[in-house]
Amino acid sequence: MGILNWLSKSGPDFQKLPAGSFTVDRHGSVLTTTVGSEFSRRRLGDIGREVLSLFHAARAAQMPLTGLDLNFAGLHIAAREMQGGAIIFLSPQNPLAASPPAEKERP
Amino acid sequence: METRHKILVLDDDSSWLELCSDFLTQLPSKPDILTATSGMSALSLLDAQPFRVLLCDLKMPQMDGLEVLSIVRRRFPELRTVALTGFSDEEFRSRAYALGVDLFWQKFDMHQNPQLFLDCLESLLIRDGGGLSNIHRKNLLDVIQMESALRNSSVLRITSGWKVAHIWIKDGQLVDAQVEGADGEAAFWRIMKWKDSAFESLPPEPGHIQTITKSLDALLLESLQTVKKADNPTPRQEAEETALITRLTAMAYEGADFVVTVPAKKEDAAKGWGIRDVDQLAAWARQAGKAARRLGRKLDAGPWTHAAGHNLERHLLLLPGKDRTFVAGWPPEADPCCLFEQSKKLADTWAS
Repeated sequence: MGILNWLSKSGPDFQKLPAGSFTVDRHGSVLTTTVGSEFSRRRLGDIGREVLSLFHAARAAQMPLTGLDLNFAGLHIAAREMQGGAIIFLSPQNPLAASPPAEKERP
Repeated sequence: METRHKILVLDDDSSWLELCSDFLTQLPSKPDILTATSGMSALSLLDAQPFRVLLCDLKMPQMDGLEVLSIVRRRFPELRTVALTGFSDEEFRSRAYALGVDLFWQKFDMHQNPQLFLDCLESLLIRDGGGLSNIHRKNLLDVIQMESALRNSSVLRITSGWKVAHIWIKDGQLVDAQVEGADGEAAFWRIMKWKDSAFESLPPEPGHIQTITKSLDALLLESLQTVKKADNPTPRQEAEETALITRLTAMAYEGADFVVTVPAKKEDAAKGWGIRDVDQLAAWARQAGKAARRLGRKLDAGPWTHAAGHNLERHLLLLPGKDRTFVAGWPPEADPCCLFEQSKKLADTWAS
C-alpha cells in the first residue's frame, strides 16, 4: 500500500479547467449547472457576474448584445443572454486545434 | 454595337434608390442603372464591372459617402462621381469637392430642378476622357489666364496622381479653389505647386459660393512669392493619407462595417473608421478586456486571445494587442466562422 500512496502523491497538482454549462439569474446567482462539483459554485458565480456585467455595459453603451464569447488559450466561454440572466458554456480548448472552435459553435 | 454606359447609385435608403432609378431612365443616353445600399456592395460592384458614373449619398450609417469617395478616387480614377446629400451643409460640400467629385447636388435641388440635374449628369456620361474638353497638355496657368482674359465661366478639375482639386471661375474671376485639406486661396497656392497635373474644364456652376476675392494677378504674384513648405503635404502627411486609404480599402475588401482601435490608457483617445461615436464602444471594449484578463487569471485559462459579441444588427470582434485593443464591427450576415481570421487580417493592415 505504501507504494500506492507514494505514486498518488508524486504528480504535480493540476487544476482541471471547467467543462459544461450553467445558468445564472440577473443577479449572478447560479441556478443550474452541469459543471463538475470539483469546480465550486462560487467560482461559477464569478464567471457569471463578469459576463453579466459585460452584457449590462453593452446595453448601457447602446449596443445590447445577445451573445458573448471569450476565448483564452485553454478555455472558451460562450454566453447567451437570457432575459437579464445568461446561459454560459465552458469548453476547455485543445491547444493543438488549428482554429478557434469557439466561432464554429455559434448558430 | 453601341455600348451603354452604366451608372451606379449608392444610398442606404432603398425607397429613394427606386425613385432615383426611375428618374434616371429619363437620361437621353439611356444608361444602365444599378443600385447599392452600402459602400461595401458598391465597391464590390465597381470592382466587378466598369461604370461611368457613381452617384453617392454622403450620409450613410456605416461606411459613409466621403469614405467611399476617398476609396473610389484612388481605385477608380476614371470614374465620374456625383455626391448627393439631403442636407445643406457647406462643410460636406467642401469635403466632397476636395475628394474630387465632379458634381455636388442636394436631393432637394434634384426635385426642384430635375432637368438641370439630368443635363449635368448626361454631360458627365457622354464626355469622352480624351476628347476636346480634356485639355491635359496645356499649362494650367495658361488656361486660367485664358479663361480670365475671355471672361469665361467654368470649373477646372485638376488631377495630379491621386490628388484632385477644383478651381471655379466666374466671368473670368477666380471665385474658389478646393483641394483636400484646404480651400480658397490656400488651395489655389497648393494647386499651383503641383507638378505633372492634368486638368479638364467642367460646366460652370453659377451659384458656387465665392471664397476668393483677390484678383487673379494678385493671386498669381502671391503664389509665386509664397513658397511655404508648409503648404505642401509633408512626407509624413502623405504617408498617413496613404495609410488611411489602404485601411479603408482593406475594410471594404474584407466587408467590415467599422474598425475602432482602443488604447489601453483611458486618457488616450480611441480612433474609429466607419463609425462616428467611438467613445461608448471604446469604454465597453476596455471593460471587456479587463474582465477577460481577470477571468483568465482566476481560471488559469491562459492568455486571452479574442472576444466576440453579437446581436441582430452586428458582430463585434475584439483582438487584444500590446498597447491597444482592436475592435472590428461586421454586418449580421457575415460568416462568424471567418470573422476571427478576417479581423486578424485587418488588425495586421492597421499595424503595418
